[in-house]
Amino acid sequence: MAEEKKFYLTEQGLEKIKKEYQDLKNLKLFKTRGEIPKIWQSEDLNPEYLSFQEDLSFLETRIVELENILKHAELITAPPKEKQDIVNLGAQVIVEVDGQTDEFTIVGTLEANPSLGKISNESPVGRTLLGHRVGEEVIVSSPIQTVYKIKKIKYSFS
Amino acid sequence: MENLLNFFIEIGKLKGKKRRGWILRGIKDPETIASHTFRMAIIAWLLGEKKKLNINKILKMSLIHDLCEIYAGDTTPYDEFRPKEKKQWKEILKKWPRLSRGEKEKIFLEKYKKENEALEKLIFKLPSSLKKEIRSLWADYEKGLTREGRFVRQVDRVENLLQALEYWKNDKPFAIGPWWVQIEELVDDPVLLEFIKTLDKKFHQK
Repeated sequence: MAEEKKFYLTEQGLEKIKKEYQDLKNLKLFKTRGEIPKIWQSEDLNPEYLSFQEDLSFLETRIVELENILKHAELITAPPKEKQDIVNLGAQVIVEVDGQTDEFTIVGTLEANPSLGKISNESPVGRTLLGHRVGEEVIVSSPIQTVYKIKKIKYSFS
Repeated sequence: MENLLNFFIEIGKLKGKKRRGWILRGIKDPETIASHTFRMAIIAWLLGEKKKLNINKILKMSLIHDLCEIYAGDTTPYDEFRPKEKKQWKEILKKWPRLSRGEKEKIFLEKYKKENEALEKLIFKLPSSLKKEIRSLWADYEKGLTREGRFVRQVDRVENLLQALEYWKNDKPFAIGPWWVQIEELVDDPVLLEFIKTLDKKFHQK
């Protein structure tokens, strides 16, 4: 069943989803005609497309999933200036944790990559930071309580 | 056939490669990379069923996710610090390491490049279609390009947390805090978050 949730995306992320949707729709057209699209010969094939080689139902499932994402996509934009001291989606946040400094960008789940400092707004830390201001301390409670002190918030897109 | 046999011999080396994170923490006779992969694949499969993900893809992705470590070695989030003395290691391992955005990007790209080269060396003589598939699955896992890629990447960390809790539960030989700090930043999948709560209950609550 398609999820009725919002998908927060940056402009770049949204464009990527739109492209994939278009590509897969073309691919489906090829497959239903029984043709082998040239894309299979390419060495830098999008990994997502590979599993569709075997199974048309997965291709259809993914197309439905992308339609659902596009239908419920919400573009991440910078908040008005007076609200830029609050952590929102798209914010770059510098925090102090356990005597050390760290830097996160809060993004939607589709674009999260913690190795690059992109934390999902649905992760416990992302969720807890949202809505807080510079100077505030937030506590993330797992068996271990971790205090994140917000040092700086920045929005670097328009 | 010979190329396949040689490939199987190479990947068999993972059965004997002990994971560095445990060696650094002084765990006696720790798990190997292959044993981590084994349980991770099963977790990904069984929990992936709840999400109606492509299980075929999940299983293959889990099985190949650490193959590059045969040549690239096993890295840990603490590698940047490289203290010379054992005592310093003990201190560093008490906290989850924090890095600037630039440092994270640099480490990610360097690790990606090194592991990608290792994987290419390993799959070099495989048939083209298999090579393409392994390459794509690995890139998906590393970059989290698809739902399956993002899920398996998080399962990797969850299996690691489970193993840490198992080593930790008896005589608490190391600080468990960094695992929990890390997991709260890395995991956002609702099924895995629910599973993590179960881990908490099992290992920390009476």
